[in-house]
Amino acid sequence: MRDVAVLGVGMHPWGKFEDKSITDLSREAVEAALRDAGIAWPEIEAVSAASSRFSGGKGWGLNGNDIVEEMGSNGVPVYNLSAGCAAGGNALNIGYTLVASGLYDRVLVFGAEKMPKGMIQTSGVEEETDPEYLRQISVGMPGPAFWGMLCTQRMDEYGTTEEQLARIAVKAHENAVHNENARFRQKFTLEDVLNSKMVSYPLRLYEICPISDGAAAVVLCSAEVARKHTTRPVWLASSTVATYRYDDGIPRGLASVVPKGRTLHSEAKLAVSKAFDDAGVGPKDVSLVELQDNTVYYELAFPEEWGLCEPGEAESLVEKGETTPVGSMPINPSGGFLSFGEATTAMGVFQICELAWQLRGEAGERQVPNAKVGLAQTLGLGGNGTAAILKR
Amino acid sequence: MTTSNQIPVAEGLFAETADGPRLLGSKCATCETPYFPKAAICHNPNCSDSKLEDAEFGPNGTLWSYTVQYYPPPPPAKYDEPFEPYALGLIDLPEGLRVLSKVTADDIEAIEVGGNVQLVIEKLHTNADGNEVVTFKFRQS
Ligand SMILES: [Zn+2]
Repeated sequence: MRDVAVLGVGMHPWGKFEDKSITDLSREAVEAALRDAGIAWPEIEAVSAASSRFSGGKGWGLNGNDIVEEMGSNGVPVYNLSAGCAAGGNALNIGYTLVASGLYDRVLVFGAEKMPKGMIQTSGVEEETDPEYLRQISVGMPGPAFWGMLCTQRMDEYGTTEEQLARIAVKAHENAVHNENARFRQKFTLEDVLNSKMVSYPLRLYEICPISDGAAAVVLCSAEVARKHTTRPVWLASSTVATYRYDDGIPRGLASVVPKGRTLHSEAKLAVSKAFDDAGVGPKDVSLVELQDNTVYYELAFPEEWGLCEPGEAESLVEKGETTPVGSMPINPSGGFLSFGEATTAMGVFQICELAWQLRGEAGERQVPNAKVGLAQTLGLGGNGTAAILKR
Repeated sequence: MTTSNQIPVAEGLFAETADGPRLLGSKCATCETPYFPKAAICHNPNCSDSKLEDAEFGPNGTLWSYTVQYYPPPPPAKYDEPFEPYALGLIDLPEGLRVLSKVTADDIEAIEVGGNVQLVIEKLHTNADGNEVVTFKFRQS
């Protein structure tokens, strides 16, 4: 396998953009990434796109084809990847593989969403043979309720307080103040968060990411190409994809088996562990993490599951400010999806943009000092997990 | 008790038996992995020989965790107007099954992790024909 570099990154700001199409968002992100990479569209040899279930893509998730038509149809190969909220990470992994294998030297990876209003309905199939439909009609479980249950269990096990949960949202917004691409850039006080409406106990409105429109794009290239453009490339040291283990104790449908050990987000753990192994780094080498914070709960659960801290330690790290950009375990200096909202399939690509800016030292007021190794992670419906390590 | 105007939310998920309400699932005779709802093949990757048999689960379980949902769930979930907050939980059954279910209690604010819960079949909502659509729930006593 060849070394893979992140040559260029670009983002369309995240928020609600009534007057723009998903193709408008995609094009602006792709143009920004090409500009950042210093290459022109015709030089792109393959496109790896996250499939949107909600918009564009001719209703079939063919969002990669949409952007090729927009930028100029030239016969370039397109891969459209679907993995729920992990789709951006999957698209990155295919882009990585295409360059690492030696098949192509310059690959465009992107994800974009125009999200529907309100809470996302998971099943589109109205048949009792469809397990997701069955789960929703018999029990009725919005995403936040799933996170709420996991968080309640953590509170029972570790004594996590509602104030500690709120503190994570406060930290996210403090970071987002310094990110021009974020949707919510105002500071929130602890009181603001604790006074926001309870959605799914113990999680409040400001502790759950809203849904947003947004787009992100990345240009990956071989080491040879990278050295023609820059003396200090950012390397995509690893990119991994995993699915869950049947016995991890987290029901993806109506039931699971009771696990033998701890309950674990196994798809995320497997992807992150392999990303560490493939990159030849360990949890202690990580300068910063961009993890999928659909809810504040994940900022407590994930670090210990991946060995970044001890079980039950995350709460005190949050309280001591260790998860801020200048702390010992910076998490989501971008402001995360609590501040951006989820543009579901763009999230895995979004994270690569932030890590690249951080590793280049271009993150301004939210810069993690001396950032050398960054970890990105997504989690998607169906038990999809992805991870990536970027190195300077 | 199920009466003529009660309709199960889905067929084959639960039943009122002579011994009380039960969840209808399967169990692999080779590796003892339990499934709910019924599975066609054993999902245990280490199982040498998938042999699924029908199995009934319940009524007793322990609440592994729960949430109280303060906003209406999106379609296709249905509920009676006006919407009332409801509890959802993950219930560990002695057969080694962790089940997602609505949780009921006289006071849903008093539900506790680790509490004992019992399977019940209760109304989910009233449909357009005025019939009660029922589903499985676990009640914390
Ligand atoms: Zn088996």
